[in-house]
Amino acid sequence: MIAISKVSKNFEEVQALEEVNLDIATGEFISIVGPSGCGKSTLLRIIADLVDSPGTVKKPNKGAFVFQDSALLPWRTVQGNVELLMELEHTENKRAKAAVALRQVGLNGFEHSYPHQLSGGMKMRLSLARSLVLDPKYILLDEPLSAVDELTREVLQEELYDMWTRDKFTAILVTHNIAEAVYLSNRVCIMSPRPGKITDIVDIPFKKRTPDIRTKPQFSKLVNEIAGKLRTWK
Amino acid sequence: MEVKKIVPPVLILVLFLGSWHVGALIYNMAFLLPTPYAVLQTFINDFTIIMIGLKQTFQAAFTGYIIAAIIGIAVATIMSLSKILERSLYPYAILLQTVPVVAVAPLIVLWFGFEIKSIIIISVIIALFPIINNTLLGLKSTSKTLVELFDYHNTSKLTSFWKLRFPAAIPNIIAGLKISAGLSVIGAIVGEFIIGSGSEQGGLGVQIIYAQANLETSLVMALILTATMLGFAFFITVSTLGWYLLHKWHESEQ
Repeated sequence: MIAISKVSKNFEEVQALEEVNLDIATGEFISIVGPSGCGKSTLLRIIADLVDSPGTVKKPNKGAFVFQDSALLPWRTVQGNVELLMELEHTENKRAKAAVALRQVGLNGFEHSYPHQLSGGMKMRLSLARSLVLDPKYILLDEPLSAVDELTREVLQEELYDMWTRDKFTAILVTHNIAEAVYLSNRVCIMSPRPGKITDIVDIPFKKRTPDIRTKPQFSKLVNEIAGKLRTWK
Repeated sequence: MEVKKIVPPVLILVLFLGSWHVGALIYNMAFLLPTPYAVLQTFINDFTIIMIGLKQTFQAAFTGYIIAAIIGIAVATIMSLSKILERSLYPYAILLQTVPVVAVAPLIVLWFGFEIKSIIIISVIIALFPIINNTLLGLKSTSKTLVELFDYHNTSKLTSFWKLRFPAAIPNIIAGLKISAGLSVIGAIVGEFIIGSGSEQGGLGVQIIYAQANLETSLVMALILTATMLGFAFFITVSTLGWYLLHKWHESEQ
């Protein structure tokens, strides 16, 4: 499990995050939604230990961070990129693991391509593949799907859901997209800006996600409920 | 290459040579303005001695260029390690660029003697700054997201340098090396000017001084042409190296 307690952040005089406390169960998928500048990205970086905070974060030691712009090395091929994090973590059997990971995201056959030759969706699949290959206990996702077009986005949401059910990691997703949060999560945290804090947590009761739940009345109801709560801050 | 790309520059060259030739004939003072044809003839007649000069200038400029590349990349790397180091060293890198090298050259010859050593040092001084400046720019502009990715995985400074910051800086390093390619030849010629006068068997710069003193204008021009081609050859070599390293992934070479 991931336990966030008394986490806060000030940037000079500005209070970016007011005390945040949140427990995330092992294997849970949680989303954080909120308007721009509410500190959700900062919160994710505090969890990742990229930003200091007076509070404490307890988390398993094997994790991965997936960035908005896929963060690939442009001078490395697909093969080189999928092996990057294994190199940094000194993982054994890089070749074999890379081959499996690429096949899982449908990038086999593209081993010798460079990132600039891939579509936005393929880049994100590669970014997810190189993280999953580490066999992480938790994954932090910082608006990973915001750079792809709407159709690809829904397909990637479904793929991400499949990865989560298959590999059983804990996931924390920061997103602007409410439907995405509802589709993927067990719980959705709503953050308010200035200072950033979690004002509400909405449980998502769906047992299994298939593309058709997006058309169900209960799905729209949840999306509208969360949108309504966010609108209060405008 | 397509014909369309070759025709315009060739046309300019023909126009230039044509008006030079006609101008020289009208002016009719061969010792001041020889025709391009006379320059070509001198180049063929004095080919052996020009090649001796080319070899010497090439040695000095090439050695200076390699040393400038090594020092430049090393100094920029040191500066990129910390803000304090950068702040302490960068002003002196600028001074290196703003000092009138032609004026300092006699001092260098005084210290290091009338030898190739002095010529190399002058070449290094002239070629150094663009390499430092561009390498530093490259090392400092690594994508913030990629730095965060490496930090998240607790990567050591050394690994981050070799796997991230250095490869990311290669396009800028190549850009610096391209600027310095011609400069290293200029530096060598300046050095040879100062050492100068000794014999007609020296480098291109020495031979230019010698030929000028003898009013052999067509030889001066043939020597200038040779020095220009040397700088151009350096540039093409570095450009090819750059293309080889970058064309697969960087937009500048696609």
